[in-house]
Amino acid sequence: MKEIKADLISKIKASFDNVTEKDYDGNRLDFHVETRIIPQILTYLKVNLGYIHLSHISCVDWLEDGEFEIVYIVWSPEDKLKVFIKTRIDRETGVLPNIDMIWRQANTYERELKEMFGIEVDGLVAADEFLLEDWEGLPPMRRDFDTEAYADETFWHRPGREDAMDVREAIIERSREEIPDFAKKYSR
Amino acid sequence: MREKATTLYIGPQHPGITGNMMVRLKIEGDTIVKATTEVGYLHRAFEKLQEKRNWLQSFTLMCRFCVPETDPMEELYARAVETIEGREVPERAKYIRVMVLELARLASFMLWYGGQNGSLGLYTMGQWSVGDRNYILDLFEELTGGRVYHMYIWPGGVRRDLPKGFEQKVLKTMDYLEKRLDDYDDLMFDNAIFKKRTKGVGIVDKETAIEHGVVGPVLRGCGIRSDIRIDDPYEVYDKLDFIVPTQEGADIWARALVRRQEARQSIRIIRQVIDMMPGGPVYNKIPNPQKWTLPKGDAYVRVESVRGEVGLYAASDGGLNPRRIHVRGAAYVHAITLLEDVLVGENIADVSAIMNSLGTCPPEIER
Repeated sequence: MKEIKADLISKIKASFDNVTEKDYDGNRLDFHVETRIIPQILTYLKVNLGYIHLSHISCVDWLEDGEFEIVYIVWSPEDKLKVFIKTRIDRETGVLPNIDMIWRQANTYERELKEMFGIEVDGLVAADEFLLEDWEGLPPMRRDFDTEAYADETFWHRPGREDAMDVREAIIERSREEIPDFAKKYSR
Repeated sequence: MREKATTLYIGPQHPGITGNMMVRLKIEGDTIVKATTEVGYLHRAFEKLQEKRNWLQSFTLMCRFCVPETDPMEELYARAVETIEGREVPERAKYIRVMVLELARLASFMLWYGGQNGSLGLYTMGQWSVGDRNYILDLFEELTGGRVYHMYIWPGGVRRDLPKGFEQKVLKTMDYLEKRLDDYDDLMFDNAIFKKRTKGVGIVDKETAIEHGVVGPVLRGCGIRSDIRIDDPYEVYDKLDFIVPTQEGADIWARALVRRQEARQSIRIIRQVIDMMPGGPVYNKIPNPQKWTLPKGDAYVRVESVRGEVGLYAASDGGLNPRRIHVRGAAYVHAITLLEDVLVGENIADVSAIMNSLGTCPPEIER
């Protein structure tokens, strides 16, 4: 596995600029790359190096950094190696290149990224509504989307259940007894 | 003369759809010329909720991602957390996990037998296989207290050790199910209707499979030998002896033959695991869940479910809650772009059979 990783690192670094790698135990290797070379590096991995399977595309919202981290995970059945291609884009102005010409199923991930995180994907195919319907406002998977406030604004509480808003308070009121602090009682 | 195209909506509530989703079909006569999937009917925002819960609380949502297969999701979460934290799992717990995963596979195969035949109007199989599935659920009930949602494989190992005499009960159930699989063969694979309705229908060839990132029995049904348990082994699969069946037909029939053989392999694995299972502890205790933090980092783990590769990406920022949990279901890949392509040129009567054969599970798409 060490030789496979070393070989891959040298090939990637010879073909692309500004790439940093991070090695992990086992069959995982990460590359941090610039957003603009995502389609090229993924095509190179698929066509030239046998990383034919796109396993996953994920996004992590680093709100405090003002960035999204996009993670592409590809797999080579020959090398038995998982390669993570990571890139960061600005939360407000960042644009992601579309890769559905490399793997068709990437389109589904890109549609979800656009809808749930509000990430613009350049050349996105089938950019119509995916999971949400008539959604306006902040995309719901962003860290600054307040789930509780949205639920309070959008839905209503069933009348007659005001006393059950907080189960613990209702129990105290009805039984006139303090309920035990389970967290304290059972903490190790 | 070219026939006028009509639009036909199948779902979101339809007995032939494997959950809440819709397929909008453009048809000429009874031939599909365009298919568009519509999802969004049961999004539960599990991944968002998990960001608001601590690492143990968010585990309880995992088994609800895909109802027919709950245990692979639990195992994924447990292993992702263990990978980020570097937590060791006792050897016995790994064997028990494999036994539970394979029992879950068998239970899911039983549902598939029913669903695949039911989609073609052959209802006897479903009555048999779903009835037999209950014997596996009985085992789960005894082991975990729950029939469908188990919350048994959790970070650090498994929740409790096997009850006394449990292994013998599992072996007895395996003997019974092995005989029943022969009965299923007579009913399903010797049935002329099943053959005629599945051969040459729902073709997914090798090129399409690679282009779409296809996994599991659909990939093996077009002749590509690929299985996460062999290619990227987890728990103790690398110590077990089993085969990965393939077929060349690339149609529903071929995929059914693959699944038929895989069910038998699951029985074989369960017997081996019980034979090889060591003694010892089953749980490497986690700290107080309300103060439990994981180091900053991320992990991507994969498991071989009945529908194929299911993955989970987890990221930790060093805090009490997950920064990100993201499930990659087999259906996420199979039931949107692939389904839309495969349905073109097929007959409207075969839509449900094709969806079943591709392992469509809408709750896994929407999460």
